[in-house]
Amino acid sequence: MGKIEWAMWANEQALAAGLILLTGGIVGVAGLFRGWEFAAYAIAAGVFVCLLEYPRGKKNKGTSVERTGQYCFTVCVKAFGPLTRNYYVRAFIHAAIAVPAGFMLATVLGCVCLGIASLIYLGAAIRGEQWEPIMPRTETRKAVGESIKQPPQNPPPRPPAEMRRKRAEDLEGAAYDNPIKVSDYEE
Amino acid sequence: MVLSFKSWVANEGGKHFVLILWLGANTWLFLRTFLTYSTGQQYYYLYKMLGLGLCISRASASVLNLNCSLVLLPMCRSLLTSLRGTHTLSSRGTRRLLDKSKTFHVACGIAICIFSVVHVSAHLVNVVNFSAFYCEDLPALNLARYLGEDPRMIILTTVPGITGVLLVVILFLMFTASSYCIRLSNYEIFWYTHNLFIVFYIILMVHMVGGALKYQTNVDTHPPGCLRPNQSSPELQGKELEPGNEERRCKEEARFHPHYPQTWMWVSGPLCLYCAERFYRYIRSSDPVTIVTVIRHPSEVIEVRMLKRDFKAHPGQYIVLNCPGVSSFENHPFTLTTCPTEEKETFGVHMRVVGDWTERFTELLLPKTGVELEILPMVQQRRYPKLYVDGPFGSSSQEVFNYEVSLCVAGGIGVTPFACVLHALLDGWKQFRLRRLYFVWVCRELQSFYWFSELLCALHHKLWQENRPDYLNLKLFVSQTEDLQ
Repeated sequence: MGKIEWAMWANEQALAAGLILLTGGIVGVAGLFRGWEFAAYAIAAGVFVCLLEYPRGKKNKGTSVERTGQYCFTVCVKAFGPLTRNYYVRAFIHAAIAVPAGFMLATVLGCVCLGIASLIYLGAAIRGEQWEPIMPRTETRKAVGESIKQPPQNPPPRPPAEMRRKRAEDLEGAAYDNPIKVSDYEE
Repeated sequence: MVLSFKSWVANEGGKHFVLILWLGANTWLFLRTFLTYSTGQQYYYLYKMLGLGLCISRASASVLNLNCSLVLLPMCRSLLTSLRGTHTLSSRGTRRLLDKSKTFHVACGIAICIFSVVHVSAHLVNVVNFSAFYCEDLPALNLARYLGEDPRMIILTTVPGITGVLLVVILFLMFTASSYCIRLSNYEIFWYTHNLFIVFYIILMVHMVGGALKYQTNVDTHPPGCLRPNQSSPELQGKELEPGNEERRCKEEARFHPHYPQTWMWVSGPLCLYCAERFYRYIRSSDPVTIVTVIRHPSEVIEVRMLKRDFKAHPGQYIVLNCPGVSSFENHPFTLTTCPTEEKETFGVHMRVVGDWTERFTELLLPKTGVELEILPMVQQRRYPKLYVDGPFGSSSQEVFNYEVSLCVAGGIGVTPFACVLHALLDGWKQFRLRRLYFVWVCRELQSFYWFSELLCALHHKLWQENRPDYLNLKLFVSQTEDLQ
């Protein structure tokens, strides 16, 4: 129950898929296997996906946890406006990027993982989710009231002296029984 | 200097010892399997065809076997709870290791992911080599059907290939849903994907069926590298009559046999144990509890007191609540604030109303008109929702009584395990090893202290009456100062 935000999961998947694409691409190019051009494409695609997905979106309710150092990426991604805000566009972009990577053995896994991420983004888009950037908080802390700088002028209100004195006939009303008699000063 | 080393060993030594033991086991298994495949006589031909990829893939597979079996053990919570209580783990240091069970589970999970990446990469290289080095002399050894078969076809038409792809997909789903951020905000995604583990294990046990990798069975009659009857070795040209040459001749052709699947031997034990534990927990929690009292406290906290047959708990343990009227599949843990004793059989939890499950649960329990307290005799109980309780499960707060001096620091509603400890002290403090308890409680607002004000006053009063005023040192702090001004 409750509102599940699928986009957050899709974001994690897409980031992991981007890394898998990058790794597969590097292996494909390093070994110069058959179809290594696709591996070179996969390196570029992996880097692009990682850059796009690194900044986490803002949660609808509750506090959002940023990834370390994501502010500059947030600014870049935010600059594209509706292209990056809308999840339909993201789902389509990921699906389109994933397809060429399927033609080479080393990058096939990256293709499958990115395809799954694209499907989850589609689901998130159908539910109406959007990418909101996490901007740093600009509100300043409320200034502490002036009265804290001045000591209070009057003593705090106290009940009259009869009530404060312990009465011998009302031991239950007293706060506690001192087993040893204390002297008159108060700590 | 010596004292800090001794205290480091007492506090952190056990954890690090287990970590080193686990790393050592993984390393030893990896190296042993690697060496078996690279130097073993029965793998000579296979190694020549596949090269290093064979050794790395098999070695990572054996590490994966070990970690897939170990990863289930820390999740058997009832078993760990009973281990905490029995005298088998009488040392405090060993019991502290149980606090780190979730960390061990995460470590094994990360090892599974890393070695899966290694295993998959090595097997992709193997598939390429199977295709490129198709051997006509030894047809039984090949996985490819002809020289240069497309490696992707090999993957998609063999059982290990297809099961491997499915396993990677499931592992990818489980791993991406397990990050801290997802668990914090959308716990359901994490829970439902993690429950795919049963599919993962079933597919894992079928993964080796089909026998892609074969070993040679007749090493004694056909020593690897021996010469065929009509073949001569390049170095021995013209020296065929030398003695000792006869051993280099093959007596028969090499015969190969696929491996017997081994994963089930590693995995079935812990898997059966975990399934038995889940079944036991299901049976134990199928008896619904009777809600006796519901009290609304300030700062959005409600207290629920319940009764259940044959329910025994120790201070510091927690229970898991399931209310089908709110959500059939969600289980939420709450620490017990009162445990059942011989005199009083009810037990209670304090829960802070934050989030949809607790809000809906509070609506079902209390009407919205702000009634402060509802205690009805059992005969006239209003229709409370059905509630199932699973537990109790152990936690590290149970250890407060086993040390001479304990410092308990709590923030807000996190005071609940210590509230149970204080209740237990109220019943009797002399039988514990505890000699002094420092209790620090920080709350956001002053009203929050009303949750346990009676308990604190009663315990303080009792200790003063019994001439142990120094037993409990209470320090209360308030963090938001705006309302105080």
